[in-house]
Amino acid sequence: MRDRRKGALLVFAVVSGAVLLAAATSSARTAAVPSWCGAKKITLGLTDGFGGNSWRLVTTASARDEAKKCPSVTSLTYADGQGNTQKAISDIQGMVAKGVNALVVFPDAGKAILPALRSAYKQGVVTVPYRVTPGGKAGVDYNVFIDTNFSKAGEAWGKWILRVLPKGGNVLMLSGPKGNSQGVDENKGLHKILDPSHKYTFIGEKPFEVTNWDPALTQKVLSADIAKYPKIDVIVSDFGPSLVGALPEFTKSGRKIPALATSDGNVLGCFWKTHHAANPTFKLFTVSTQNDHARLAIDWAVALATGGKKPPTTHFPAPSFEDSTTGKPHPVECYPNLPGDIYLSAELSPKVQAKLVKK
Amino acid sequence: MPKDTVPRGSNRLFSRGLTTVAVATVGLFLASFLFANSSLNRGVVLTMLPFASALAIAGLGQTLVVMQGGIDLSVAGGFSLYVVIVTKYPAGDNSRLFAALAIAVAAAIAAGMVNGFLVGRMRLNPIVATLGTNALLYGAVLWYTAGIPTTTTARLAHLGSKLWLGIPAPAYIAVATTLLVTAVVKLTPPGRRFEGVGANETAALTSGIYTRRYRGGAYVWAQLLYCLAAILHASIVNQPTAYEGDNYLLPSVAAVVLGGTSLLGGRGNLVATAIAALFLSQLDQFVLALGVTYATRTLVQAAALAAGVALYTIDWGAIGRRLPGRRPISVAPT
Repeated sequence: MRDRRKGALLVFAVVSGAVLLAAATSSARTAAVPSWCGAKKITLGLTDGFGGNSWRLVTTASARDEAKKCPSVTSLTYADGQGNTQKAISDIQGMVAKGVNALVVFPDAGKAILPALRSAYKQGVVTVPYRVTPGGKAGVDYNVFIDTNFSKAGEAWGKWILRVLPKGGNVLMLSGPKGNSQGVDENKGLHKILDPSHKYTFIGEKPFEVTNWDPALTQKVLSADIAKYPKIDVIVSDFGPSLVGALPEFTKSGRKIPALATSDGNVLGCFWKTHHAANPTFKLFTVSTQNDHARLAIDWAVALATGGKKPPTTHFPAPSFEDSTTGKPHPVECYPNLPGDIYLSAELSPKVQAKLVKK
Repeated sequence: MPKDTVPRGSNRLFSRGLTTVAVATVGLFLASFLFANSSLNRGVVLTMLPFASALAIAGLGQTLVVMQGGIDLSVAGGFSLYVVIVTKYPAGDNSRLFAALAIAVAAAIAAGMVNGFLVGRMRLNPIVATLGTNALLYGAVLWYTAGIPTTTTARLAHLGSKLWLGIPAPAYIAVATTLLVTAVVKLTPPGRRFEGVGANETAALTSGIYTRRYRGGAYVWAQLLYCLAAILHASIVNQPTAYEGDNYLLPSVAAVVLGGTSLLGGRGNLVATAIAALFLSQLDQFVLALGVTYATRTLVQAAALAAGVALYTIDWGAIGRRLPGRRPISVAPT
């Protein structure tokens, strides 16, 4: 009896010891402070030129999530410029007046924001614009600009096209408003890869068909192109989800959906899953929509303000995400029970994104 | 035409506007056939017709307001609001679609009453009043959606893609709506009074018509028509954004103008507005099929609008008389 009790005690001790050990290691894991997080306590500001779509919501939430990793950040204030340049400028000035130590800015209005950035920087606030270039110079007008090279996405699409259409073919590219720098750069990258082979013909308006990233216009433009060009072998688009309403135009015209090189989105993955069986030519390749660009900007701002270690680069990469032909880096993903407007390439979990979007 | 054969009021079957826009539309389809054959492909026409239908119905709403000497700039905000209500409220659940439609209609009546009150009762300038309402409606859109689009419910998408006898269902709805609105305005006593108030408010008032009700009522009916157009639009576009109405503001006014309804109010050419909507939609596809750049496309559309306005508002006879050589008397040099 006594022995049994002893044994029970022993088991209890071992189990509780193991539990304690597990708890200690797991708490050690969560408490692992990233290298960019220094010791100095700071308050952080985040301003957006325009916050009104699901991509921005996920991006802002990613930034908040990133800032939470660093205990030295005592608070994070967010302001949405609502597409109004005047408000975007006064948001920045307001943050400076409130006394934030570091400021991360999505300068949608580009150069119009530069004076506000400069004035924040001159007043000693760590100022980090990202994604859209505000002009100016790092170290003069702001601390550092965290950019991404859109032509890399074009190159990734081009390489994939070389692989799935080795015999060449007709390429149709769609982007947003006329002359938008993202579309222009992507187009350059695409040409850089495809032109040397002399096997690919670009069809439609040059450098790209204008869709304003508007689903209704995309539908009209694509149906006109389908009628005009009897042979479209691959569509390249920098906003995949907006194509979902337009791709059925191929079926309506009695044709197969062609290969598609674009950016990711849950709605697109689900569309591929339901349509690829009936459309053997419908191969899909996506690059990340880069919601995590905001994370790199936060890392830099926090590192500079708290005295942490600077991240190794100021360039956010354009990683490939899904490829229906190889399944690498990922097979096409679809969460049919979650909203269409979530981005599976983002670090933020699909469930957390779904909650944000459904709110 | 001898005077005694002119029918009373505006019951003429073919107004100047209707004839003009019908000829222009036939001409455009002929040009499409000759120069941009691909714009008449079955697939393209099946895409164009539903958009034309939604624009025709929105144009009818705008026509009613213009007939009262007003203009409704809140079409953008209203349209966007109804689109997001019928997509976001059901959020993919077919069983909630009916309730969503009811809420959208209620919202349309409310928005129309705000406009009607401001313009009909408070006598505000319609441009200012409807611009304000537009901002309010967009506020509601952003509050409700935070600008996030929702995918259209399957049942609603089914309506947009359904073909009856090879023609998209929205086209039937547009034709039926046009006939119904025309019949009400042209054949019923309230409709005749409505047109009378628009043509001459003082005369209508002295003949004992309660004009405010008609002036304000136009905005409510207009919003209801925008609501119907928005429902059709949501059924056509798989994942409409929160700003779909923006694409209907200028075209809805353009359809009214091309249809020959005077912006000063009075007689309305409802059928002509609907045909003008078809004209504008086919013009879109025509220039797309021509393969010209986006800049040229925009210019062509603007030119069509300018030509439409010029056709009806410039006194061409007077210009002809002013041309040199045509002058009946020459002024002697002094």
